[in-house]
Amino acid sequence: MIGNNGAGKSTLLNTIAGTLAADAGTLALAGHDVTKKPIAYRSKWLSRVFQDPKMGTAGELSVAQNLTLAQRHTGSMSLHRYRKASQVAAYQELLRPLNMGLEDRLTTQVKYLSGGQRQALSLLMATLSHPDLLLLDEHTAALDPQTSQKVMDLTQTIVEENQLTTMMITHKMSDALTYGNRLVMVQDGQIKLDVRGEEKQNLRQEDLLTLFAE
Amino acid sequence: MLITSIGQGLLWAPLAIGVFITFRILDIPDLTTEGSFPLGAAVTVSAMLSGQSAVTASLLGFLAGCIAGWVTGVLDTKLHMPSLLAGILTMTGLYSVNMHIMGKSNVPLLSQKVLTNYLPQSWSIDLQTIMVGAIVTGVVVAFLIWLFKTRLGLSLMATGNNPAMSAANGIYTDRMVIIGYMVSNGCIALSGALISQSNGYADIGMGIGTIVIGLASVLVGEIFLRGRQIWLRLSAMVLGAIIYRFLLTVAMGLGFPVDDLKILSAGILVVVICLPILQNKYRTRQQLNRYLKQIGADEHEASNRSLNRQASPEGLLSRDSK
Repeated sequence: MIGNNGAGKSTLLNTIAGTLAADAGTLALAGHDVTKKPIAYRSKWLSRVFQDPKMGTAGELSVAQNLTLAQRHTGSMSLHRYRKASQVAAYQELLRPLNMGLEDRLTTQVKYLSGGQRQALSLLMATLSHPDLLLLDEHTAALDPQTSQKVMDLTQTIVEENQLTTMMITHKMSDALTYGNRLVMVQDGQIKLDVRGEEKQNLRQEDLLTLFAE
Repeated sequence: MLITSIGQGLLWAPLAIGVFITFRILDIPDLTTEGSFPLGAAVTVSAMLSGQSAVTASLLGFLAGCIAGWVTGVLDTKLHMPSLLAGILTMTGLYSVNMHIMGKSNVPLLSQKVLTNYLPQSWSIDLQTIMVGAIVTGVVVAFLIWLFKTRLGLSLMATGNNPAMSAANGIYTDRMVIIGYMVSNGCIALSGALISQSNGYADIGMGIGTIVIGLASVLVGEIFLRGRQIWLRLSAMVLGAIIYRFLLTVAMGLGFPVDDLKILSAGILVVVICLPILQNKYRTRQQLNRYLKQIGADEHEASNRSLNRQASPEGLLSRDSK
């Protein structure tokens, strides 16, 4: 999803995630009406990666603890011990494909990680529960170009491997054109362009720029 | 003097632990403390006067504190009040509640058996106090170590650290905050219950300044014991409460009148807030000097000075970056 600043992209995303309440209409996730449900309830079906790498992880907690929070095998109110020796190997297996050396830093507090590492971890955490909908809120905007590309590639791999329905907001038109199979352009709170499949593949950056200028 | 401080410190330790839970784990400054501490005392003493055993009465005090915490939690989360205001409201309301429970502003225990009376009478008062304090504080610490190793405890820590991320991961943060308030104020009221039994009375004014005592104990403890493990952090709270008592005892030994203890408490809090800032400044300078010496650069002295000015020290009260 692309659009000018103030077009309403983030508003839409926040309404879906539950951060903002809907003024009118209904919102259904996987067939469940969640219009008036809190964020935590919606998390059964959706996950989100924030723009700010600090938002998606708990900095004071370790990498392993963050992964435990994301796994959700047990409810958040459960009185079972969360740390088990058998999990260490499983977590290392999960972290290794990220190629960021995180598998050796399970007990490190997340606040000591770099922005790229934190965002990669956020992405992994958001996809661990195989959500029906993954929301990406300009999740590479705060990273340097190289790291940004790395996280984008990682996103592509994870999304394709797990066949996740994903909605990504971006300001980078090249990313909007390269990734995904549908492109929505928002302006003044309205959908101005909605293309998919072959039509999207034929779309070029110049076409978008002319649309933006209108 | 030290022995007395240890005994008294152990009785005050649940207060420090309670303040630690809201202040450090949930990152909330909770003023309910000033009301839940005398509430614990009032409930315990009244229950004992109406014939309950000291153990039952102390447990009732703990539960009363949990209820007070629940009220603040609901005001904070469900009614969306700023946490400081929520605490002030509960604390103010509790004054009347405490008066109703006690009937008058000071209620002495008569010949009721307090917790220390369960121990052999041949032991000295100090030893009895230490034993009771150690057992109760030990149980509280053990319970919390267990709690923070469970998934619920992890959710509590996550909620305090990053509420947005916690909610996005399916944690009902409102519930967590309320649970945190309840456990915290339960511990604080339990401390009130122990102190009232040790003093032999409950007084409407005994809550005044408890938040300062609690915060000072937390900060003092963290100066001496630092670490990430929960048992270490909780032990630091117990140590902090003991050292704080010791400081007060020393001050009283120097001839400070009892009325001046409150301003002394406030003074100690100011010092323990400032101390780590100075400590950090000193450490930064030392590290820099060592580094400069390593690369053997006297000519860098000028840059050294300018760097020192730039280094911004971080105090204990400043929030860690997420």
